[in-house]
Amino acid sequence: MDEYLNMEVKEVISKFPEAARVLDEYNIGCTVCNAGSCLLKDIVEIHSLSSDEEQELMAKLARVVYPGRDVKVLEVGRKPKAKPERVKYSPPLKKLVDEHLLIKRWIALIPKLAESLDVNTEEGRQLVLQGVDFIRTYADRYHHAKEEEVLFKYFDENLEILKTMHADHEKARSHVRSILQAVEEKNGEAVKEHLNAYRELLTEHIKKEDEILYPWMDRGLSLTQVGELFSRFNELEEQFQTVPEKYEEFIRKLEEKFR
Amino acid sequence: MVFEGCPGSHTLDLREKETRETTPTEKVRSQLRQWPIQLHLISPTAPYYQGADVLLTADCVAYALGNFHTDYLKGKSIAIACPKLDEGQDVYVEKIKSWLEDAKINTLSVLIMQVPCCMGLVNLAQQAAERSKRKVPIKSIIVGIQGDILSEEWV
Repeated sequence: MDEYLNMEVKEVISKFPEAARVLDEYNIGCTVCNAGSCLLKDIVEIHSLSSDEEQELMAKLARVVYPGRDVKVLEVGRKPKAKPERVKYSPPLKKLVDEHLLIKRWIALIPKLAESLDVNTEEGRQLVLQGVDFIRTYADRYHHAKEEEVLFKYFDENLEILKTMHADHEKARSHVRSILQAVEEKNGEAVKEHLNAYRELLTEHIKKEDEILYPWMDRGLSLTQVGELFSRFNELEEQFQTVPEKYEEFIRKLEEKFR
Repeated sequence: MVFEGCPGSHTLDLREKETRETTPTEKVRSQLRQWPIQLHLISPTAPYYQGADVLLTADCVAYALGNFHTDYLKGKSIAIACPKLDEGQDVYVEKIKSWLEDAKINTLSVLIMQVPCCMGLVNLAQQAAERSKRKVPIKSIIVGIQGDILSEEWV
């Protein structure tokens, strides 16, 4: 089993598709993860399973990996949660979760924006450029900078889960570059393609952060570190001054436009 | 546990618990690193409050919580108060505000007992935070009468 514990979860699922169903049973959403590069042995800690649940999960996975063998499964009678419990974040991580709300409002607007998009008009091109400005200034410089320059530094950046988050940020930046190029070439289809790809990527990325990464980080941060993070986030916010209000207004107007 | 009348002053006999406790094998060292500690007596800008993780503790907490020194006081600065009996609590609000703004404390943990009147101490901290231009993470920790932690959450 050790051989598989040190394997990326994506690879395990690819070799043993039934493993995806077992993981889903424990609300471990690796099946739909774009990266799936976390090691199988790490996902238990990241998803905060109890030791009984961990034993039960591992035994069920062992049955999938070694179907002919007699593997004892400790049944702990775990019932699927009807509704995930509301997570209580520490104040600095709550700031990041709250910033996700505005990014999610932007993401929700993308289908309507893409549907009505005409890059052959100046108005159409400007609309895309304003969206790109939101992504670059609010979602990337204001929000992702807090993660990459401050929060992630408190953890081992060689951890697969953090590499995955960095990779998601880079993919998002790459989509933005492609959107800009497509606008310049007045290629409406390419703009739509990369806007939609960005939407899919960020939807999954935010879900991973809100539901898995941040709760896991909160469990590992000391009280002193929580205070430091809060203070450093405040310092960063002071540098951006009116940025949150400006982009909140941008999204509000866009929502009115596409109502 | 069923309370009758004021839960803060209701009589409870916990002597039976004494016999079930284990005796520590070595002397527990005090983690107190300052004096004074009563909220009326402290100066909120004293050096040991600067940038510190601060405990604001209801008077009774240290008697109920067996591992108070090692689990909570260690590495932190402290002030104690009773939100039920102390007078001049406006001064308390100003002192807590001064911790936030002048001493630039890192975090504030408010440790209170489970009795309802103790919640007043969390309210004082919240009032001070609302009046303060500078914010810090504030955690509320509720201690049961038998020394167990009933809840620990960010305010």
